[in-house]
Amino acid sequence: MDTAKSQGIRVASVDDIPEGEGIAISSDITGTEDDIAILRDDDGTCWALNDTCTHETASLAEGWVEDGDVECPLHSSRFNLKTGKVDGLPATRDTVPHRVEVRDGEVYLFPGERP
Amino acid sequence: MTVSSVISSVVVVGGGIAGVSTVAELRKKGYVGDLTLLSADPVPYDRPPLSKEYLAGGRDLDSIALQAPEWYVDQRISLVGGVVAVALRPDAGEVELSDGRVLTADRIVLATGGRAVRPSLGEIGSAIHVLREVGDADRLRTQLVPGARLLIVGAGLIGAEVASTARKLGAEVVLVDPLPVPLAAAVGIEVATWLHGLHADHGVGALTTTVETLLETPAGVAAQLTGEPGSREFDAVLLAVGLVPETALAEAAGLETSRGILVDAGQVTSHPSVLAVGDCARLRDHPRAEHWEAAQLDGARAAATILEAEPPPTTASWWWSDRYGLHVEGVGEMRSPDAEHQTVVRGVVGEPPFSVFTLRGERVIGAVAVDDPNAVRAARRMIDRGVDVRASDLADPGTDLRKLLRR
Ligand SMILES: Cc1cc2nc3c(=O)[nH]c(=O)nc-3n(C[C@H](O)[C@H](O)[C@H](O)COP(=O)(O)OP(=O)(O)OC[C@H]3O[C@@H](n4cnc5c(N)ncnc54)[C@H](O)[C@@H]3O)c2cc1C
Repeated sequence: MDTAKSQGIRVASVDDIPEGEGIAISSDITGTEDDIAILRDDDGTCWALNDTCTHETASLAEGWVEDGDVECPLHSSRFNLKTGKVDGLPATRDTVPHRVEVRDGEVYLFPGERP
Repeated sequence: MTVSSVISSVVVVGGGIAGVSTVAELRKKGYVGDLTLLSADPVPYDRPPLSKEYLAGGRDLDSIALQAPEWYVDQRISLVGGVVAVALRPDAGEVELSDGRVLTADRIVLATGGRAVRPSLGEIGSAIHVLREVGDADRLRTQLVPGARLLIVGAGLIGAEVASTARKLGAEVVLVDPLPVPLAAAVGIEVATWLHGLHADHGVGALTTTVETLLETPAGVAAQLTGEPGSREFDAVLLAVGLVPETALAEAAGLETSRGILVDAGQVTSHPSVLAVGDCARLRDHPRAEHWEAAQLDGARAAATILEAEPPPTTASWWWSDRYGLHVEGVGEMRSPDAEHQTVVRGVVGEPPFSVFTLRGERVIGAVAVDDPNAVRAARRMIDRGVDVRASDLADPGTDLRKLLRR
């Protein structure tokens, strides 16, 4: 892992994340309070959100990613991939988005930076 | 009264997910008029945790609130908590409250939910319980101490969830149901058989029988089970035998009811200015769903009807349930194999994660999954979009179900 802050943390190759799915990056690596989910939309773009659903304890990296949203695997609350805004109960609180960049097929995460 | 621009006041009666969803969707869709939510509870809360984390003691009332109290202020929703509606006068657009006030509105939405069925087996009280409200959960929890003997009558979703929670808390549990395999219609016989078998695996005495009488004694409750020579002693009994829709207001007001307040596809009752949503309502010629998401979608549909906006897209009905640390989900309709239907298993029933699909021809009509929620999300989209699939593709855990959707 490349931890030079200004360049982001290299967390995965894009090809490791199938379209419509996600992977969780441990908070040990991101240095954030929560793990961070790298989510790949069905159009191929990558996004990052705090991994834990704001409702209970589900991992959003295990959710269903489609059309700019991720759907929680437990109770189907939806979060916007870009803004972290919640759309749909039972979750009521927005989650935190983080900036990601894809360079040469590698995904770089900027924990704490807004997309 | 039929043009949305003249709708300037809406009163929603009942602060469950259906009522809260109605008011939330009205505001989201741009409604700016007066909006009142009547809630028997001071702050509306969510019911599914009442048999799960809340009963287990892992969450408190604040954490199961459907919305934080500030939300109602931000959304300019006048939340009238701790009162109930006692009468409805549809022609006048009036709702009379238990504190004597009368509210008037252009549209009234009934979201009164339902009550737990109380079979006449014994008085509900300190040792005999039902589970629908937070107070019910609080009372039941005080009795779920290590070694306490709990009898659960009814092994449906709620009975099974409480059995699991009670075991976690160390109680001894006997679970009775007249059906040898409860929930077979909901999840299919194979999955139902395995799910029901989990009770015994977790030390629950699951019995196929009925309860004839319950008698409160100084020591607890004596239960006479059919076919047993003597009665058994328990410290607590939970009656988990179903729901009666709360239709009293509607009935007294002359609205059409039959196992629910009858509504059309836009949630409108037999009176054009009264709508009904959630567990209290029933779409004509359809069974009631009695699931969380169905109630939420009813609220969104009612809001769209009131505002003459686009209704949410129709989607196969979806539910979840949790027991013994396993997450179960279902969508659509499960059918036994016959000339028209086949059952397709992905993985191995009994070895989570796995999922089971009902296919009619090349169309998925239902699915159930244990610890495999994305199989159900895929199935739901297959149903909603009418995607043709091959049984062999579904059955192969190596097939990416998302890819089947994209074809
Ligand atoms: C213990 C439990 C566990 C569950 N678990 C799950 C689950 O895991 N998954 C799932 O999909 N579904 C689950 N459900 C079902 C789901 O919670 C219900 O389908 C849902 O609550 C229905 O919402 P509702 O708003 O229609 O009714 P309700 O939640 O019943 O809300 C109706 C409200 O209206 C109030 N009210 C009634 N009459 C009046 C009146 N005259 N004036 C004012 N207020 C009134 C009531 O007090 C109540 O607060 C569970 C239900 C229970 C009870």
